[in-house]
Amino acid sequence: MRLISRILAVSLFLMFCSGQVLAKNKLKAGFIYVGPIGDYGWSHAHDVGRKYAHDKLPWLESVFIESVAESDSTRIIDRFVQEEKVDVVFTTSFGYMNDTIKAGMKYPDTHFMHCSGFKQSKNVGTYFADLYQMYYLNGLMAGALTKSNKIGYVAAFPIPELIRHIDAYALGIRAVNPKAEVHVRWIYAWYGPDKAKEAAEALIAEGVDVLAFTEDTPAVIEVGQEHTEKGKQIYTFSHYSPMQAYGVDSVVSGQLVDWGIMYVKILKSLKDGTWNNKDMWWLAAEDAAILGGTFDEIINKKFIPDLKAVKVNTPDLGKQSVYDLVVKRYDQMKQGVEVFDPFVGPIYDNQGNLKIKKGARASKGDLLSIMYYVDGVVGSIPK
Amino acid sequence: MEEIIVSVLQRTLVAGTPLLLGTIGEVLCERSGILNLGVEGVMSMGAVTAFIVTFATGSPWLGLAVAILAGMLISIVHAFASVTLQSNQVVSGLALTMLGLGISGLLGKPYIGTPLSVKMNTLPIPGLVDIPYIGRIFFDQSPFFYMAMVLAFIAWFILVHTSLGIKIRSTGENPRATETQGVNVSLVKYLCVIIGGGFSGMAGANLSISYSKSWIEGMTAGRGWIVVALTIFALWNPTRAVIGAFLFGGIFVLQYLIQPFGISPNLLAMLPYLATLVVLVAIGMRDSNKLNAPAMLGEPYKRGER
Repeated sequence: MRLISRILAVSLFLMFCSGQVLAKNKLKAGFIYVGPIGDYGWSHAHDVGRKYAHDKLPWLESVFIESVAESDSTRIIDRFVQEEKVDVVFTTSFGYMNDTIKAGMKYPDTHFMHCSGFKQSKNVGTYFADLYQMYYLNGLMAGALTKSNKIGYVAAFPIPELIRHIDAYALGIRAVNPKAEVHVRWIYAWYGPDKAKEAAEALIAEGVDVLAFTEDTPAVIEVGQEHTEKGKQIYTFSHYSPMQAYGVDSVVSGQLVDWGIMYVKILKSLKDGTWNNKDMWWLAAEDAAILGGTFDEIINKKFIPDLKAVKVNTPDLGKQSVYDLVVKRYDQMKQGVEVFDPFVGPIYDNQGNLKIKKGARASKGDLLSIMYYVDGVVGSIPK
Repeated sequence: MEEIIVSVLQRTLVAGTPLLLGTIGEVLCERSGILNLGVEGVMSMGAVTAFIVTFATGSPWLGLAVAILAGMLISIVHAFASVTLQSNQVVSGLALTMLGLGISGLLGKPYIGTPLSVKMNTLPIPGLVDIPYIGRIFFDQSPFFYMAMVLAFIAWFILVHTSLGIKIRSTGENPRATETQGVNVSLVKYLCVIIGGGFSGMAGANLSISYSKSWIEGMTAGRGWIVVALTIFALWNPTRAVIGAFLFGGIFVLQYLIQPFGISPNLLAMLPYLATLVVLVAIGMRDSNKLNAPAMLGEPYKRGER
């Protein structure tokens, strides 16, 4: 009897040890998505990143839950920590911010990474890939291609992130075409293909011939492709996911996000113990923000001759084609914001007030709270 | 300016078409004395089934056929409750809305964010499409638009000029007298509810395989309720429904056109619903005898009772 109990005790101890060893070798991550992973926008891009991390990191285990309402994340975090025993939880929507901070206090031994927020604590970090530089590059192309000098933007909600994108887009447009204007329509939805569609149609009816957007479906691109097929060329810029396939004759370029490299970096730092809660705000230099309507090419081949035909003068790089300018600027952005950034003064708002002084570069804080239209954008931000 | 006007009118017809289809069905249904508040749910069922079938087979016409069938099938629930069981039509209609929204949400889950590769393409009418302005507005539309216009005319003709129409209308006005004429009142009511459901299913298909080519939960976005209001606006007349549907469609389209004039986008977004209220109030304040409402609308009919 004593022998049996001793064997039992020893085997239990061994099991415990091997469990410890396993736990040390593996790392388990839980992902919370605000939308369905099939939205072909935000949540889709995050899930592509999760899968990429899986391929790269053999020691990674992961679980995810999609379509979690922003007010409902606490329940899911509890489940991840208590039942799934995850080591790190990624909360991938701005609205999860406060619940993530609270969860950090409740579970001090678990790490949390909140996407797009600005609050950190001992075990809660933040990360975000910002696309404003890509919008600037899109703007360069939009300004060169427009015939009507009216350029459209279908926008989701009037928050700093979108204002930053619209402004960067306008700065790019004005850098090559001082006569062009940006017209904005708000649809008040992240996911609203019918609204985006009517907004795009309204813009085209008013004479707009280039469209960019922030909405999670290819609806705007579909509209552009439809008009192009009927003989009226509408240029569009893809957003977030590679949408060029939806508009092969319409999509010029666009912006893509690679969350994968970011997730790999975060997970590796957790694994080797170098993790800290410092905000990760990744741009082109970190290869998180990528130019293109597809991952294969930065500009749709169809439009390269047109872009090469337009020549433009720049203060620092001299006279050259817009195509070359886009390539050079993209290269500069990859070297870092110190080499080139769209938000370098003098920058005026569309009322004529000087917002960024000559030679000064907008700080990260300035950009994260930006709430004015730059010169070239028509109208005012709805209250 | 011409460009804007032509585009707005063209988009108005596009946006009004699903409303018109739904309203024709509801007019038919209410003319027989059955109030159907389940339109929103039935539309949603039509949208999801049309999408799934088109997605699987690549044929939008097959998708449309299945959507109509699905709309008819699920409407049997309401017909059974309100005709056979003689229960409260408001309650069973609301139940139908919730049922339809729930089932379609469940069925559609795997299809969120996966757009169709084919859709019901626009069908320019040869010859007519070349007429300046008019051609682009009226004759470069999706098949749904032409079908809706033809069906509105047919529904009006049947209701007003045929003996079947008289049977339907008198069933809604005075079922007891109708029954003494040898008409099977229950059968008429069943038929009208089911055919009305077919129209709602068609309206849903219009949204998911023609207007856009994707499925999202809640994509009917309150159109089913606008249909109920439009039925009153049209004073239970399919031809007047044409005017109402395109008026409401126009408001949706105008939202994005007049946004730059500093009008709050939230206010614009609620305009169609505000217009619904105005219509209800304006008609309610008129002489109710002129309203032309079926006298026994919403009243359960029991055979052989006084």
